[in-house]
This record gives sequence, structure tokens and C-alpha cells, in this order.
Amino acid sequence: MDFDISDMYVTSLETLSLQRQMMENLIIAKARQDALQRKMEERRLRLQEEANRRFAASGTITAEEQEQRVLYTNVLEYEQDHDWPKLWKANIKKNPDDPTLVSGLVSCLLSCPDHPVMMLLKRLQYRVYNRLYPIVSKSLPTSPALPMKPSHSAQSLLMSDSHQNVSKSEVGHSMSSDASLNISFSHDHIANEEDSDWPHTLDRENSFEDLEQFLTQLDWAPSHGDPDVTFEQSQLDQEEPLVQDLEMRDLKEHLKAIVKDIHIAIDQLLSLCLLSFECLNTASSKDLCVASIEEAFFTPLWSPLLALFRKVHRERELSFESSMRLYRDASPGDVGVPSKLYPQDPVMLHGSYPYDSAVQELRLLCRDCCPQRKLECIVRTLRLICACAEDYSCLHEAESKTAAIGADDLLPILSYVALHCELPQLVSECAALEEFIHEGYLIGEEGYCLTSMQSALQYVESLHTGGFQLHNTKFT
Amino acid sequence: FTMAAGGGAGNKTYSFKVVLLGEGCVGKTSLVLRYCENKFNDKHITTLQASFLTKKLNITGKRVNLAIWDTAGQERFHALGPIYYRDSNGAILVYDITDEDSFQKVKNWVKELRKMLGNEICLCIVGNKVDLEKERHVSVEEAEGYAESVGAKHYHTSAKLNKGIEELFLDLCKRMMETAQAEERAKGNGASQSTTSRRGVQIVDDDPQAATAAGGCCSSA
Repeated sequence: MDFDISDMYVTSLETLSLQRQMMENLIIAKARQDALQRKMEERRLRLQEEANRRFAASGTITAEEQEQRVLYTNVLEYEQDHDWPKLWKANIKKNPDDPTLVSGLVSCLLSCPDHPVMMLLKRLQYRVYNRLYPIVSKSLPTSPALPMKPSHSAQSLLMSDSHQNVSKSEVGHSMSSDASLNISFSHDHIANEEDSDWPHTLDRENSFEDLEQFLTQLDWAPSHGDPDVTFEQSQLDQEEPLVQDLEMRDLKEHLKAIVKDIHIAIDQLLSLCLLSFECLNTASSKDLCVASIEEAFFTPLWSPLLALFRKVHRERELSFESSMRLYRDASPGDVGVPSKLYPQDPVMLHGSYPYDSAVQELRLLCRDCCPQRKLECIVRTLRLICACAEDYSCLHEAESKTAAIGADDLLPILSYVALHCELPQLVSECAALEEFIHEGYLIGEEGYCLTSMQSALQYVESLHTGGFQLHNTKFT
Repeated sequence: FTMAAGGGAGNKTYSFKVVLLGEGCVGKTSLVLRYCENKFNDKHITTLQASFLTKKLNITGKRVNLAIWDTAGQERFHALGPIYYRDSNGAILVYDITDEDSFQKVKNWVKELRKMLGNEICLCIVGNKVDLEKERHVSVEEAEGYAESVGAKHYHTSAKLNKGIEELFLDLCKRMMETAQAEERAKGNGASQSTTSRRGVQIVDDDPQAATAAGGCCSSA
């Protein structure tokens, strides 16, 4: 028996020493953790100071500057933990004239979701989306295949609310072609977003939800102390009753505000990007930066953004559609294209219609998701028109040597092409492009093409009212 | 987006937008084609043919990039004019000296341009087809008198004979440069508001100019 006691004694002694050791370990671990914490804090302070020094030139500190400092601190912190920025910078310094390096760096940056630039990108996207969602979701077709998840974010609650309130009439026919609304989601952006948490499988029905899901996964939890997000949230809650009786005027105001937000967001992203990688601060690299940032920024947002534009421009789209129906079988001559610029003999067209290739090209516009790409698509369309016109006029006779067409010919042809495109949302797409085209492009070929497209669309819209006489007699 | 306005007074590239207005048969297409293909090569002809043309010039040591926007002359497209000529620095209004009607159209455009763009835009009124002098229906006095009365300059050209075209554009460029410089002075040095506004000339320092080059018309390489 006493054997047992001593044994127990030994056991309890062992337990005690074990416990003591564990305590010690815990204390050591705690001490280590504290030290690490302190070190981290020190580092953060140090980096903060560095960031402050970087911005020292400017006297008083505005809220934006303060935000910039915080962001820059994050960048510095990130660079202490990751080597790739240093490596790229060194590499570019060594080969400053290699443009492939610049695009390499930019795509590398875009593939790092934890880099402060990308974190900011997502936060800003979320902010825009958050503002778009309550307005746009109102016009979504009510579909039983779209289950509302009781989810963590304010706007999904909002959505399920407003969703039930959508009257059938409100689901306008312009929105009923919802394929066009969502088609942009299924595109190539997924390929270069491989590493981020973008949903990989998207279909028409749940693309909004997927986007929402994705966006709620973002790093925006209140624990991060992001004042923007909490602000946005409370604002959203109050907005709900308002949303239901938004008149067109309000819609337009909303649109204006969102457009402005987007411009600010892109400026912010660019400046943080250039702050992080000063080597990108050359004219050509900056262009590439802007293009890449915009593509990343707009790709998931274009669809809801376009939906808002379509709501605002609904009347115009309806007019376009009426003209479209009225002129379904119109020949180029009916919209004023001079006869030498299209073949009268159907045999020449090989079973298709004149300017078919330009029509096909223009139809692709709705599939791209970023303004720059869409703009390029319009430029390609106009170039194809010019090329076709040249071919057709060569068919007619060799005598007319002045094959080059001017605006007098271009606009009627473009109107014909727009009619045959049969996509009323072109009106809204172009209105959106107008907002997001860069000043630098405005007076160039892109600007000219967009302006011509806008004119042609407006002309088409006016056709159905008969306000314009069909055959204008004065053609050269 | 990121264009430095103002800055050093030395090397600058001016980018000007010029709209081309005129009825269908006055020969504006030939006129502008003449100007752009004439001299050294036809590289300036873009894939948009005669609708949109660019030309690079060097005037008194200053580089100038011209973007020439053709507009449709037909009546039914007139309602859409304003989006073409917004932000233009210059306008070339062409009429046919044998066609009184085309001169009346020019008058209408002048009114509209002045209304929309004020006095900052340099106007050129161009009587084309002077090779058909015998059939003239618009008198020189009337045309020049009218031009003067509206603060425009008047020119006579013949696209067919390639007469007066080079002078027309050179003169217009000089006037646009003067206007731009005056605007710059009025703004004072280092005024940066212009970066945010979409209006007006883009005056760019040499390097950033390369930035807009990707935009198409105005490569300075």
C-alpha cells in the first residue's frame, strides 16, 4: 500500500515539475511573443517614420495624405516580408529600356492579392460595388433560380428586400436581355486571376451573387478598422427606403457620383502603384500601369455599372430598338450610304450583307469588360468600315481614284452598321465609355471613333421618329 | 490623367484638334487629303482614311501635333455636331466658291461654333475650288468681309491645283499657338487646374508626351 503512496507521490512530483516546466515554457513563449510584438511595433513605427519622411515636403496633412501615409507604410512593411518587389526593382534598374520587364512587374503585382496595391484595389472595387448594388439589383429579373442567402453583408439583405418589391413592369425589356448583362463575366479575366479568390465558375444566373460572395470574402472586416467600410455600411442601411423611389433624376445623380468615385479610385490606385514602384514612373510605364489597373478594376464591375447606365439611358435604348425594328431590312442606301460604297448585286456579297465584318466586330464590344478594350473594338470597327468601303468602291469602277472616305460617307455607313448590330445596349456602353475615356485619347483616333459612334447611334435613335428624311439628295 | 501643364517654357509639344466643316460637295476631303499626303510621304493617312488625320509639324522650333477631325456635312447629322467640335482649338469651314448655298452653311456653323466655344477657337473660312474662278458665285469681298466681321480669317484654296492649302494650315497652327500661349500666360505659371479639366489645349512637356503617344495620333518618337 505505502508503495502505492510513494508511487503516487513520485507521480505527483513528476506532474508538478511537468506543470512547472509548462508554465515556464508558457512564460518564455509569452515573453517571446511580446518581444516579437514589440519588434513588429517598432518596425511599424520605423516604417511609419520613413513614410512620414517621404511625405515631409508637404506641409499640412490632409486626410488623404494621412491615408497615403498609412498605405505607404503598408507597402514598406510588405516589402520587408517579400523579396519579389526588390528583385523586380533591381532588375528594371539594370535594364531600364526593357518594356517586357515593366509588363512583367505589373502582371506580377496583379497576381499578388496581398500586396497593398491589390488590397486597395479590392477595397475600392467593393466600395463602388456597394453603391451600385442596391440600385442595380432593383432591375434584376426576379428569378427563382437566384436564391438569396442570408449572408453577412448588408447589401445582400437589402437585395432580398428590394427584390421582392420589384414589380413585373419594372423588369424592363431592356434588362430582359440579361445575357448581355452578364455575358461579360464569363470572359478571359479569369485566366489572369487564377491565384486570387475569384469565383472560377460563373454562369448567368448567379454572377451577381458570385461577385457578392467574392467581395464579402475581401479583407474588409471591421477588425481592420477601416473607417470607409463601416461608414459605407451604416449609410447603406439608411439608404434602403430611399432606393425604392429613386426617380430618374436621382438615378442620374447616383450615376454621376459613382463615375466620380471610380475616377478617384483609379487615381488613388495609380498613385499608390507608382509610390510602390518608382521605376514605373515613366511616361510609357505609367500608361501600361493605368491600363492594367483599369482592366483589373473594371472587369468585375462593368456588368453592374452598365446596368446602371442602361437604367439611365433606357429611353434612348428604346428608341434605338424601335429604329432597329423599323429598318431591319434596310439597305445601306436607305440610311444615306452612296451607292458606289456598297455592292448592289447580292451575288457580290456571297450571301451576307454589306459591311458584315464591321457588324461582327462591333458586336464583340459587349464582350469586353474594360473601357480601353471596348474603345479598341470601336476603332477596329471603323477601320473595317474604311477597308470595306475601299473594296466596294474598287468593285464599282477603277475610275474613282479617290477611294478615301471622309466623314460624309463614314457616318451613314456607321449608322447602317450600328442598326444591323441589333444591340440597343450599345447606347449605354458608349455613354459609359464617354465617361471613362482618358483625356489623352480624346483628341486621338480613339476619341474620333467614339465620337463618330455616338453620332451614329444618336442618328439611329432618331430614325424611328421620322424626324430625318431618308434619302438626303446631296451626295457626291 | 497625368499630364503636366505649364512647367518649363522650353521644349513643348502642342496638341491641337481641328475640326473640318463643310457641305458634302465642297471638297473638304480632297483638301485635307492633299494637305496630309502631299509632302514627304503618305504615312500620315491613317486607317480611317480621310475622316481622321494627323500631322506632325515643327513651327519656329516648337513641335505641333495636329489632329484633323472631319465632320459629316449632311443636314441630318448636324444635330450631332457639338460632340465633334467640343474642345477644338481650330475650325476650318469650307465652302465652294461656285456654290452660294455652301457659303450660307458656313455662316450657320460659325454662329454655332462661336456660341459653343466662344472666342478661343481659331476660325478659318475657306473658299475652295478657285480653279473654277469663272463660275464663282460668292464674291471675294463678301466672303472676306464676312470673315472679318466674325473674327475669322479667310483663305482661298484649290485642292485640285494644290493651291493655298499649306499656307492655310501653317497660318492656323501659328494662330492656335498664339492662343495657347496667351491662355498659358493668363493662367499664370504652374497653374495645375488644367490637368483636371478636359477643356483646351494639351501642352505637354517633352517626356510625358510619349505617354499620350500610345493613344494614337501624336507620337513624338
